[in-house]
Amino acid sequence: MTSTLGSATAGTAFAHLHVASAYSTHYGVTLPEVLAEQAAAQGASFLAITDRDGLYGAVKHVRACVSAGISAGLGADLAVHDEEYRSLGRVVVLAHGHTDGRGYAALCRAVSAAHSADRDAVQHAQHGAAQYGAAQYGTASHGATGPSISRARLADLAGLASLTVLLGPDSDVGLAVGRRDNTDAAARLAHWQRALPEGALVLEIVCHLAESGTVGSVTPATRLLALAENAGLPAVLSNAVRYGTPDEAVTADLADAARFLLPLADLETPQTNGQAWLKPAGMMRQVARMVVDAGLHEDGALDRLLRDTEQLADRCRLDPVSDIGLGRPRMPEARIIGVTGDPVTELWRRARSGIADLYSARGSRAVDAAHAQLAHEMKTVEHLGFASYFLTVSRVADIIRGMGIRIQARGSGVGSVLNYALRTSSVEPIANGLLWERFLSPERQTLPDIDIDVESARRHDIYREVFRAFGSDRVSLMSMTNAYRGRGAVRDAGLALGLPDAQINVIAKQMWRFNARDFRRALEEKPELEALAAEVRESQQLDLLVDLTARLDRLPRHISVHPCGVILSDASLLDRTPVQASGMGLPMSQYDKHDMDPMGLIKLDILGVRMQSAMAHAVEEHHRLTGESIDLDRVPLDDAKTFELIRSTRTLGIFQIESPGQMELVGKLQPEVFNDLTVEISLFRPGPMKNNMPLKYLQARHCEVFPDYIHPRFEPILRETNGVVIFHEQVMRLFDELTGCGLGKADVFRRHLGKPEQLPQIEEYLRERALARGFSVKVIDQIWTVLAGFGSFGFAKAHGAAFALPTYQSAWLKTHHPAAFLAGLLTHDPGMWPKDLIVAEARVLGVPVLPLDVQSSALDYRVEDLADGSQGIRLALPELVGSTEAERARIARHQPFSSLQDFRDRVHPRRRTFEALARVGALDTFIGYDRTRRHELLAHIQSLRGTAVVIRADQLAFEVELPVPQYSGDRAGAITSLELRGRTQTDLELLDLNLAVGSHQMKRFHALFKELGVTPASELGNLPGGTEVLLAGVRRATNTPPMRGGRRVVFISLDDGTGPVSNVVFFHDAQERVGGQVFQTNYMLVRGRTRRSGARGVSVTGENLWNLFDVARQVKERHAVERAAAEEAASATAYAAELAAHPLIEHSSSSPGGTLHQLNAAQSA
Amino acid sequence: MPHIIDAPVDVELSADGDPRAFIWNRFEHTVIGQPQAVFKRTRWWENEGIPTRIDTELWRLDASRGGEEQHRYDLRRGTDGSWTLAMDWG
Repeated sequence: MTSTLGSATAGTAFAHLHVASAYSTHYGVTLPEVLAEQAAAQGASFLAITDRDGLYGAVKHVRACVSAGISAGLGADLAVHDEEYRSLGRVVVLAHGHTDGRGYAALCRAVSAAHSADRDAVQHAQHGAAQYGAAQYGTASHGATGPSISRARLADLAGLASLTVLLGPDSDVGLAVGRRDNTDAAARLAHWQRALPEGALVLEIVCHLAESGTVGSVTPATRLLALAENAGLPAVLSNAVRYGTPDEAVTADLADAARFLLPLADLETPQTNGQAWLKPAGMMRQVARMVVDAGLHEDGALDRLLRDTEQLADRCRLDPVSDIGLGRPRMPEARIIGVTGDPVTELWRRARSGIADLYSARGSRAVDAAHAQLAHEMKTVEHLGFASYFLTVSRVADIIRGMGIRIQARGSGVGSVLNYALRTSSVEPIANGLLWERFLSPERQTLPDIDIDVESARRHDIYREVFRAFGSDRVSLMSMTNAYRGRGAVRDAGLALGLPDAQINVIAKQMWRFNARDFRRALEEKPELEALAAEVRESQQLDLLVDLTARLDRLPRHISVHPCGVILSDASLLDRTPVQASGMGLPMSQYDKHDMDPMGLIKLDILGVRMQSAMAHAVEEHHRLTGESIDLDRVPLDDAKTFELIRSTRTLGIFQIESPGQMELVGKLQPEVFNDLTVEISLFRPGPMKNNMPLKYLQARHCEVFPDYIHPRFEPILRETNGVVIFHEQVMRLFDELTGCGLGKADVFRRHLGKPEQLPQIEEYLRERALARGFSVKVIDQIWTVLAGFGSFGFAKAHGAAFALPTYQSAWLKTHHPAAFLAGLLTHDPGMWPKDLIVAEARVLGVPVLPLDVQSSALDYRVEDLADGSQGIRLALPELVGSTEAERARIARHQPFSSLQDFRDRVHPRRRTFEALARVGALDTFIGYDRTRRHELLAHIQSLRGTAVVIRADQLAFEVELPVPQYSGDRAGAITSLELRGRTQTDLELLDLNLAVGSHQMKRFHALFKELGVTPASELGNLPGGTEVLLAGVRRATNTPPMRGGRRVVFISLDDGTGPVSNVVFFHDAQERVGGQVFQTNYMLVRGRTRRSGARGVSVTGENLWNLFDVARQVKERHAVERAAAEEAASATAYAAELAAHPLIEHSSSSPGGTLHQLNAAQSA
Repeated sequence: MPHIIDAPVDVELSADGDPRAFIWNRFEHTVIGQPQAVFKRTRWWENEGIPTRIDTELWRLDASRGGEEQHRYDLRRGTDGSWTLAMDWG
């Protein structure tokens, strides 16, 4: 920490009462942990965080203060309005401590109240107040629509000596002082005194030593102090802190620019100077002296100001346990989860009956094993007092199942027989070798975490039902803090500097796969950024941009609802967490996932998984067409055809294993049983990949090396993975076998493996115990190398097994019900691939995707039985770009239509939708599916005139014929719509649907491909390794998976319309050759060499790539030249004959070579 | 008559951190009364590189050399802690 007034002796400690942390997004810029440490280092014994509009940083602050050894205060900087919704500016509300949580509860309620106020009324009133609001102190409230609490409500909550309200420069009183209107200020203060309980009101003196005549100067501060003296109210000194140190003032400037969405140069009220930092005591005292000295005050005013500040701080010291309830779990009350007696007894009863149902078919030995395991698990549950937790989770699972929604537990909770018996989880843990201790043990005392995957399309329905069932005072959604990342950081930094949007966009697009903090290093190292790096060297402004971008990286940017977290608690929930409305309307806690465990809040992850929706859709479609019901959870897990499909690597659309890298690994691994899928999914993770586990495992699996179990006692643990340690569970078992420490302790060791400083201790313990347990030094050396190298990498087998189930289920559906499955994929879009590729896959599987048709297209993709006995998938209405939900709903409700008139009468489409439907052929039904007449249809619709009408959804219409006029003779030629001329069905579909179903968009290039000798993706698998090939197509995916050795590789998946994708990998040398094109070119021609991977897999190592349009143009130009030459040459015919006589392959290897040679030359020039 | 001085000076600080005296042209100037600090912000984004401060620190004070008539001065402190006598307001 630097100190401007360096030699100032730090007097006594100073307590900062008004501090915004970085969780006051776009306002404060320093993290609570940093602030607490700084305060402690400055000798303070207290620090309050008072974030704007909430307690976003509160839990982090309290924990940081505990570790820094100082007392925490909590408050909020809130807007207030009066009974007529007129703005009263902003005040700071501080909670009183040592009140058994009363102060903290009142603060939570005040923040929630501010967020639930009548928005429209507040908005209106604040707008009216904006004129004088503009003069607000540097820290002007942004926008006019923020949260605001009514003074009456604040007065209620401040009762019982729960809160203190600070009126500072941003309050209506302070603003009046700023306007030099002392009469108004006194009247307003008197109003506050009447409204608030005795002793709840304090004036807040802030002075940033700004130039006289500007906000933040000593003059308004000294006047406000005089006002306090006249009114007989205490005054406290604060620094309205926005950052820890003076050099962070730059970041606060950026935050202001981002908040007002204006360049710094255009800000009307930038911060007056850079003095809003966490000043040490000496400097605060200096400020106090200047304020007191600038006016006429009573004797002892200086000491009184500082003493009153200290006294208020003492009053606001919060006890982390008795006030905030830190570390005390609160479960929903028993009656809420349907339990009348003792939760433990009830849990035993339900678990035993679950085991009887689920295990009886597996034989008595399985039943006994399950009961034994249950007893083992229940011991921990009882010990930790978590019975209500398990009942709560199983209650939620019951609610979801009761709604008929697919559900699948995920995470370490899958390793529990208790969860399986309660039907929270659907994977059987014992046979799968999963461990309870990976989930919960007396050594692992954090609140357990069970994740539940549900159909994504029904997630919001589930939330509403859980709120209904538990009561909205016990449930809240969880929030998440979105931090700045590369693109957002560069955009906001660019905005602050006033760079043109277009320029920022170009730069932002290149902020890819590296941290904004490392922007400068990336510019030096990454070949594709070379052009940008050159620009930065030339421009002072861009150079500044690079550093400012790095400043913003990782700062909290905004709060949003967490995608799956639901908080469940007892009726005290709203006394312990402030809530605000989420986007979907349900209340959302201001606390994020890191705050849950410290606050004793149970969080359940109810995650919407699109694949679950896609599979549910497939099952529904099958039922609709055949009447048969498929129970996916009862499908046998050993279906030969399903594994055959997986082994073929045609895994596009299958859960978890459809990415290019996974396709390759599946090809190498050749899964045969369910457990192979668990292994496959677990191997394809950053940790195992970096540790080269896949290769080691594959070598052992395919008997290239002998499995090395190191010691016979390890064989039972490592047999399933051929001697390679992949799963957390294996590491735990190894620790237990080596040391006899028990599995709970073993999990602690496992987690500590990731911390290098812990390794010597673990090693010493392990060696000593293992020797005593009969292992030789040699064996111990070997196994320790493996364990230490494992680090914290690897994967819980419980996760892998939970993922493998939907993987298998989706593969089964693709194998046996491809049309229904693909309809599900197209409707819910669960995977990584764009829809065109799924359409292409459907085409390859012999399932045509049928064009949009108002007679049969539904709101989702439907399977249709075709005349030839096969099945097709009908394009869904929502694909029509720009159509409204209401229009689509009317089409779906009124189908079928007897005529165009009938369609218009009952659907009443807007003109835009009407024309788009005609263009793509969705109205062809009204012209007898005669595509050549679509010109007439479109022209006719475009010629219709009428006035806009509002219609009721269920309006009746006349049934009259209104045929499309037919033109004949010469006129027919005249009726053409310019919009249709020269456009293919594919063009029109891409225009209005963003999706070509008629034919593939690459089809137009197929002649060119043939001429160049491009290998179709569908034939790539037939080539031996090391073959030089040309590939072409449209980019469908780009991946930069983590790689051993750290050098980045880029995977590009190309779609040429002939089959699934061809995957091209560009290594570092090729990336240097290709430059930015590796990320920027979308239509490309690639030269490379094939690389075989395992029995079925093939990929291509890219050597160079060209923009396909450039190639097409050059070929065209060459054709023109050749034609001209041919015409000139006397022996034109002979030449052409000779050319035609060349076999295609030879032709291709020479001619594109020529073109590519030119391109190469052009590129290097 | 105010005039710009812009000369480096040595400044002596009080225990509270306020300037108590400064030495200019070998003569000590003693501060009279409570000096006032003023921080003026800069348009840093128009310059090169990120600054460590976004404002400049000025102290306005009255001082006199020996028994001479007192003048009003502006002292500027740089980010490195060095002092400059910026203005003599007369």
